[in-house]
Amino acid sequence: MTDAIATYDSAVDAPRDHHPVYDYDSGPPVDRGKFAIWLFLATEIMFFTGLIGTYLVIRTGAPSWPNPEHRLAIGVTALNTFVLIVSSWTVVRGLQAIEKDDKGGLVKWLGLSILLGSTFVGIQAYEYLELIHAGALPNQDLFWTTFYTMTGFHGLHVIVGVIWLFCIWVGAVRGTYSAHNYLRVELAGLYWHFVDLVWVLLFTLVYLM
Amino acid sequence: MSEHEHPTFNANKIMITLMVLTAIEVAWGSLVPYDWKFALWGGLLAFAMWKGILIFMYFMHMKFEGWICKALIAPTPILIAVVFFALLPDIALNDRLIHEVGDQLDPVDGTIVEIGYGSRAVNPAAHK
Repeated sequence: MTDAIATYDSAVDAPRDHHPVYDYDSGPPVDRGKFAIWLFLATEIMFFTGLIGTYLVIRTGAPSWPNPEHRLAIGVTALNTFVLIVSSWTVVRGLQAIEKDDKGGLVKWLGLSILLGSTFVGIQAYEYLELIHAGALPNQDLFWTTFYTMTGFHGLHVIVGVIWLFCIWVGAVRGTYSAHNYLRVELAGLYWHFVDLVWVLLFTLVYLM
Repeated sequence: MSEHEHPTFNANKIMITLMVLTAIEVAWGSLVPYDWKFALWGGLLAFAMWKGILIFMYFMHMKFEGWICKALIAPTPILIAVVFFALLPDIALNDRLIHEVGDQLDPVDGTIVEIGYGSRAVNPAAHK
């Protein structure tokens, strides 16, 4: 204790602006942004669990359920699934590019991801228009209610993801990111992959089962 | 900022695996008869889970993350199980829905009409 007092140097150790100064990082042992995004994604998992759980209750509670193949365009949506998977891959390539300080590569791969994400939204909008034109409205029956609810919420997430990726892309064009500063790219990528992951499950549950 | 390097993995291989699994999944959904629920659902869910795990572990880097990110996500499977167990009584009570989904009461004459893919969702007999 005496030694500790003796070695105290007020010029170095005195709290600046009345805030304590520690010689260690008091935060979590992970980037704060990453901590936050994983926490957010955990809540998103629960959100979609609620939707899927409700769907399964309705579906298994029904005496019968229409074959989705007779109501939905499986081929077009399968193509859309490929588009979203490829967009996830391009985001990974973008992150790998900036990890090597390849700024041009980041711009290219992110641009491609935005294009593919927009294509997904466009195809889904086309599908909605076709279905609505055919008279398949959300209030028609429980099949359509659950279909529009789940795919609609997912579609909103995709739109948010595209906007987010676009904001990151603008930063990439301006040269904001480098091999030592790419956390925002990674966070946007995590969100985008989550959206892809949810779609993989929704496609199976809604379109194929 | 994010200065730690992620261990490299072959993203191309993961992407191709996801594409192949999706193609097999679509074929499975088309070829297995709709009434064979166990085979159809079991196969489809297995493929979906496989794809989901690949995305989660590699594209989302969970395989390479530290304990804190894993700890953040760890409670969610438990909460998911809670949700499904809480919903089980509703799932078990299969007589809640009286009419078959896909049928709807026609507002004009009260008859049950079938709504099919590509139809105009009307009962022609009711609108003669």
